[in-house]
Formats: sequence, structure tokens, C-alpha cells
Amino acid sequence: MAVLTLPSLDTLDPKREWQAWQPDATQPWNRKWASHLYRRAAFGANLDELRMAEKRGVQSTLDLLLQGETGCDDLLPALLTAGQYTAASDQAAELRGWWLYCMLRSGHPLREKLTLFWHNHFATSIAKVHSALEMFQQNKLLREHALGRFGPFLLAISKDAAMLHWLDSNSNIKGKPNENYAREIMELFSLGVGNYTEKDIREAARAFTGWHTDSDGTGFEFNPRLHDDGAKTVLRQTGDWNGDDVVRILLQQPAAATFLVRKLYRFYVSETYNPSDRFLEPLAESFRKSDYDIAALVRRILSSRHFFSEYAFHQRIKSPVEFVLGAVRSVYREYGAKEKRQQPLTQQDLVRHIDAMGQVLFSPPNVKGWRGAQAWLNTATMLARDNFAQLLAMGTLWNNGRLPGGDDIEDEAVAHEVPAPTKPAAPPRPSDRPEEPAPAQAFDSARVVHEERASTAKDIVRVLLDLYLPGGVRPDAEARLIAFVAEGNPKGAALNRRVRETVHALLTMPEYQLA
Amino acid sequence: MFSRRHFLTRTVQGSSLLALGSVVPEFLANTARAAEKAKDTILVVIEMTGGNDGLNTVIPYGDDLYHKYRPTLGYKKDQVMRLNDHLGLNPGMRGGFQQMWDKGQLAVVQGVGYPNPDRSHFESMDIWQSADPRRSIQSGWLGRSVNELQGQGGFVPILHVGSGRQPLAVQGTPGGAVSINDRQNFKLELGGGTADQQKARRKLLEELATPDGKSDDILQFVRLRQLRTMTSVERLHELLAKQNLRQNTLFGEGGVYGPNSLPMQLQLVANLIISGFGTRIFYVSIDGFDTHARQADPHRKLLGQVADGILNLFNALKNGGHDKRVLVMTFSEFGRRVQENGSNGTDHGAASSLFVAGPALKGGIVGEHPSLKDLDSGDLKHAIDFRRIYATLLDNWLQCDSKAVLGSKFEHVDALKPQKA
Repeated sequence: MAVLTLPSLDTLDPKREWQAWQPDATQPWNRKWASHLYRRAAFGANLDELRMAEKRGVQSTLDLLLQGETGCDDLLPALLTAGQYTAASDQAAELRGWWLYCMLRSGHPLREKLTLFWHNHFATSIAKVHSALEMFQQNKLLREHALGRFGPFLLAISKDAAMLHWLDSNSNIKGKPNENYAREIMELFSLGVGNYTEKDIREAARAFTGWHTDSDGTGFEFNPRLHDDGAKTVLRQTGDWNGDDVVRILLQQPAAATFLVRKLYRFYVSETYNPSDRFLEPLAESFRKSDYDIAALVRRILSSRHFFSEYAFHQRIKSPVEFVLGAVRSVYREYGAKEKRQQPLTQQDLVRHIDAMGQVLFSPPNVKGWRGAQAWLNTATMLARDNFAQLLAMGTLWNNGRLPGGDDIEDEAVAHEVPAPTKPAAPPRPSDRPEEPAPAQAFDSARVVHEERASTAKDIVRVLLDLYLPGGVRPDAEARLIAFVAEGNPKGAALNRRVRETVHALLTMPEYQLA
Repeated sequence: MFSRRHFLTRTVQGSSLLALGSVVPEFLANTARAAEKAKDTILVVIEMTGGNDGLNTVIPYGDDLYHKYRPTLGYKKDQVMRLNDHLGLNPGMRGGFQQMWDKGQLAVVQGVGYPNPDRSHFESMDIWQSADPRRSIQSGWLGRSVNELQGQGGFVPILHVGSGRQPLAVQGTPGGAVSINDRQNFKLELGGGTADQQKARRKLLEELATPDGKSDDILQFVRLRQLRTMTSVERLHELLAKQNLRQNTLFGEGGVYGPNSLPMQLQLVANLIISGFGTRIFYVSIDGFDTHARQADPHRKLLGQVADGILNLFNALKNGGHDKRVLVMTFSEFGRRVQENGSNGTDHGAASSLFVAGPALKGGIVGEHPSLKDLDSGDLKHAIDFRRIYATLLDNWLQCDSKAVLGSKFEHVDALKPQKA
């Protein structure tokens, strides 16, 4: 792939960039852009979704992503009930697994992805909250408001029990204000540094006095006796303000829309370009006019010319959740419930891997959330990705990933789908014999090659690249992968193993770490 | 002992990297330049995350105003570890620091900060770590210093010990800093098969991560990071395997210190230094200093961990005389409000204190304690710009040009100049 040097963002016309993209002959809607959209809006696409998206076109794919699949609204109450039960056990790891299940199986991955965005925006950690139930309640709240309006959202999070505990609101009382929440609501939740003064923080803290958890510790209660009802001046407005007023005043600041749009730009579009306020203004302006309608903003970003451009493509580093779920969704295949080949996806097995890559859900490092981008990758977390890739690709990740006693059964089962070799296969060398039984078909990363009837090394690599890295890698990397597959001309079980090894290599590729 | 040359033979020659010639990045070329072992000076930086309450760390117990501002949190004369007739350290530090203080191995630096202090954790932390109060530099002061070091300390010049994200301070070196923690075994899994098969797969993985020598974008960053990982895991695996044999728990003021506690991380640092790892700069952190409520007990224990950890580090380093080539510096992003809040805690403040420790030091109290009469909107005023401390340590201890790292010259703090290097 040629090294592209794009002109700076300042040279672009913001209005044009944020117009809806119309695919044409020079830039058609194809698998590259379909998988780009799924990586950003959701947690990657499996092969069927990619094919479907290519057929439906960009608008209809976006509609599907924004609305979720048919029936997802009916599924949600059941998922939440399951979450409630999981939280009651007070096992944080179980709750992480439950959320991964929602991301994978709720039928509305865009909503779950955005819930993850808000978890990072209103970053709260169980390390201080000490209650899985409160973390679950907050997660439910984030999901409820994820595609709603930001005003009611900000007010609701200001009364959320986990947040009240996290930022010491219970000790914020008349005469002895605690500034923790007042500072973070301005700095991290709504305006950003430079758009308020230290005095605004001190005054806003007084307005939030008496906003406490209730006697159960899991709900909100306003305590008028501990509330300071004197006059306060917040952002040049003076009155007997309380927390509701502070939220209102914050969202009257033009900086609020710009701040949130910038954060969503980084999440959906690019971590490498740092747009000017001017560049973001068309989005910020309509966000303000819409009374902070988040769904409309997300749709506008995800349908724009700018989103479907090289300014966005591969310009983010996948978070651990994106890396793991994306890879799993490419490898795994779901069959009908009654089919013998069907294997359940045990999301709980993924939790410790995502933890090791540095993203412990419900436990961000601090109130600013995960730093993201380059900070995701250090020696330890990179190695965790490499070793996860090995387990997933070779099929040894899953507890139930192997057929009981099924030595090479799988390879025989798929072997008949492969076109017969033109000459008799050489007797396998000892080293070609896999020492592990093949993984169950549902978890076998070599399966796709047979489904797609690819037999030459070149075709095999093409099929794999089209699934894992559509949009291309360097020609020399592709050639190198083809040579690896072809080496020694493996057949049957040895070829399947070689394909799995190739998938492992693909998942460790620097390109694959990019979203 | 596992020599650098041995590492090279095993890792670099055994892989495809030698064949890559011109595209082998600079950091791998450095691997070949064996630094003289056990001679280079070493700096260990401890980040105290959350904003340490400097006023309850270095305590002006002789000042009535202190007791007025700290009615519930204040420490009395008979509680503190006394430094002189006016100042004392938090009682949690007695076990670790008393003997170091008595031997003149501890420098207590007061009134440290920078102009127009930022009271946001993240902004101020970035300011300390980038050493740029204007916030225009996106790399870390320690990361930048690697480029100026004479002996670059072999293949890992800078090492972050911890399980959290990599701090900004260590970023900005070619190929990236290495992070380790004692929970990881640092083994690159290659999925079984014969030795030849594993070798072939490893070769493929490395080639796919090879930088193309042209671009300087996000993809190139990931390539370098991946290549660095693949070329350093074997050595780290061997070293950490040895660590686990020696693994034990430590006892101190803060109770029993388990894995991933600061004292255990510093023990790991000591073991790495003793084993001739060659790293010049280590970075560790301890979180929990954002004490908005009920701070007395947890704050005392945290300081206990810091002091115990530092004492234990130097005790361990005496084995082989390594203690004399190591200095430790602590820092936090800011101090806290002078007046305690209504929750027996303290809110974000400005100037604070820090420690520099090591047998190479003369030790003592550096600077005046900031006045409790002359406050800046309720916060202590700084007298010593933190970059003066950085400059002193860079020029006089690591022997690297502080101006190249910090962008301009800063006056040295004489008391921090090592007496014997």
C-alpha cells in the first residue's frame, strides 16, 4: 500500500467533509468500507454480515446498525434481568462477561459500543465503588441514554449512586464543600480544560451540596438540610443554584458541544488527526440546535464523507475489547441450535484476556478513563494480544473448543469439500502431523477456507485477507503470507493447521491492531 | 549470567532481523553496543498518583497555623518523625526513612511546583511528565533523555514496572519503553510443533511487523512496538523466571506487601539491577493519593509503603555495591489545599514536597517550607520549579544534557548533586 500523505485538515472544507457520503465509481461501497463501518460503529463484522452489508449498501447498513436487529428491543429486558442477577453475585469478572455477552449477542452492537464510549467518558471504577450492583445500575443508565439527549443524561449521571460514591458526593455538604464532582463534571464530562475557572468549580461544588445517595446507598436523595442555599456564581450566572441549574448552565456554554463532538471524533473517526474547532463546527452547531441529540450526531458522523475517507481509515488503534471481539466474530460461526456442529460462545473465557491487554471493564484507571490510542500498546499488552491471537487462531482458546476424543475427525469432515488433489498426496512427514486434535468446526479458523472453496495458497490468503483485513496490506506482506501457506505444499490436516497458523500471523499484524 | 552478547546470539541472529539490514531500527542496532556493565548510574522514579498531601508529608509541626488549618488531620510534635525543631515527616515514613535520614541518604525538597499551577490531575500529571507547563510537548522527559544518554543501557534503556498503562514520562524513545509486571511470564506462544516450525512462524511474525523505513504514521508506530515486543520477550522471560524463584513477601509499616505493591515492584527493580539488566531508568507508581475524604489512615500507610519500599530497594542493592549507583526520586502531580475539607480529607492544591534518596547523596532539607501565611487562593506557593530538580539529576547523575531534554537551562539544586558517583 502506498504511503499516503494527506493534506492537513485545515485545508479541507468542513461543510463538505460532514456531508453524507455518496459512493461512486472512484470510491465504491465495498468490503473495505463495510468492514471499516462495522469496526467503528460495532465490534467488527462476521463474514455473513460483511456480505450482507455489501449487498444492502451504505444507507441501509447504517439504518440497521443504528436501529439494531429486529427483536433487539424485546431481548433487552431479558439481558438486563440477567445483568441484575449477575451483579447480585458481586463478582466483577462475571459482570464483565455479562457485558461482553451484550456486545456480542444483544443484536444492537452500536448501542453497546456507544455504552462503552460513555463508560469511558463518565469513567467510574468498581475499585472505589466496591459494588457490582451499583456498577450494573450505572451501566444500565449509560445504555438507556447512550443514544438519547445529553442534557437529561448528564443530570441522571449526576444522581447515579456509583458516581456519587466515586467522586465523594456524600461528603459534599453545606459549609464544607467537596469539589471532586464539581471539578470533573466541568473538566471531563462537559466543557474541557480552559472553559471554566477554579472559582466556578468552588461555586458549583456548593450547588451540588446535599446531593447524596439514599439510605440504601444505591439510589439518589436530595438532603435539603445539608444543601447550601446561598447565592452562587457559576460561569457568570448568579442565583441560588442547585445541581440541576449547574447542568443547565454547563450545557448553555457553546464549548460543551465542541468538547463532546471532539471526543466522539476521536472515538469514531481518528486518533491521529487533531481537528480544529472550526473543522468540527458544523457538527457542534447541529448538536446544539438538536438539543444535544446524540443519535443524530452519531448518524451524521458515521454517514459522512470524512468518515469514509483515508483521514479515518486505520487511523485508530483498536482497544482490547475491539481487538478481541472483532477477532472472535471473524473466527466463530454460529449454527442452528439443533445442529450438532453448534457450539456456544463462552464469553466468560474472554474476560481475562481483555484484562491482560489493559482494559478491565468497570475498572478504568481513573476518572479520565483509558488513555487509548498508542497507550494501549506496550510490551506487556502487545504480548497479551499476540498470545491471545495464537490461542484463538489455533482453536485452543475455548474450554469446549475440541471435539471429545475427536482426533482429526474435523479435518476429515472438511477434507471432502476440498477439490481432490491432482496427484496423490505424499505421506505426511512426522512434523506435519498435528499433535493437537482439530478444534470444533464452530471455532476453527481454517473453516472459512473450505467454505469459500479456496485451495491454492494465493486463494487461501485472499480469502483470509478479505475476512480479516479487507482494504489491503502491503504487497510484500501478502506475498510473504502466500509463501508461508505454500511452504512444503501441505495437504489435509497439515494444510488446515497451516491455515490456522496463518490466521495467527494475520491477527498479530500491525495493520490488524488498527481499527 | 546471561550476557548481552548471549542475548544477541539467541534473539537477533536467530531471527530474520539480521537479514533486514538497513531497516533494522536504531534500537536494535543499539543492542549490539554492549554498555559497560555495573558502572552506569541509574535513576528510579516513583510516581505518587493522585496528588500527595505535601503538608502532611513534610509537616511544619512547629507552626500554629498548620494546626489551625488541619484541626483533625494535623500531626503533633510527638507523632512526627522529627527532622529538626520545626519540621517532621509523616509518622508512616519512620520505619523506612529514619535510618536513611540519619545516614544522610535522604533529601527532602520543599515547596516544589511550577507557575500558574493546574489543579486537574490529568493536566498537572502531564505537565510533570512532559516537563512542559505550556503543554505543547507530547513526549515524556525520561523518554527524551534516552536519546541523550551516553551509555544507553543495552536493549531496554528505560523500563516501566507496573500493570497499568504506560506513563507519558517514559514515552518518546525510539521503539518505545518496555513495561513489565511480575504477573506476566513473557513468553511468545507459537502454538506447538517442531523447533523448525516454531522458528518459521516466529520469522513470519517478525517480517510482517517490519517497518517500511518510509512512513512515520500510526501503522509504523505499531510495527515498531510489535517488533520491540518480539525481540525483547525472550530475555525478559528468562529474567522474570529467575525472579519468581526469589519471590517472597515483604513486611513493613503498611503491613504485608504482596505482589504488585510498590515495595515488591521496587524489589523487582533491585533484582533487575543486580542481575546486570543494564536499564538506566526505571519508573514505578503507587496510586491512592487523591485523598478527598477520611485520609489520615490510608495516607499514612501509602507513605509507609513509599519509605519502606525505598529502604528495601537500597538494602537489596547493597549486595554487590549497586546501591551507590542508584538514586530514587519521588513526585506527585500536585499537593493539596492547606485547609482540610469537611470530610476529613483535602482537595486539590498546588506546591508540594518530594524526596530524592540514595547513598550517593549528601541529603538534608532543601528549600524553605512554603509559608502558611502567604497562600495563593488557599494553596502553598512554590519556590523551586520542578524542572530544576530534573535538570540537576539529568546533568549530574545521568550525565545527559538537560537543555536538550528540557528545552532550556534550569538552575541546579546544589544539595541534590551527588557527592560520590
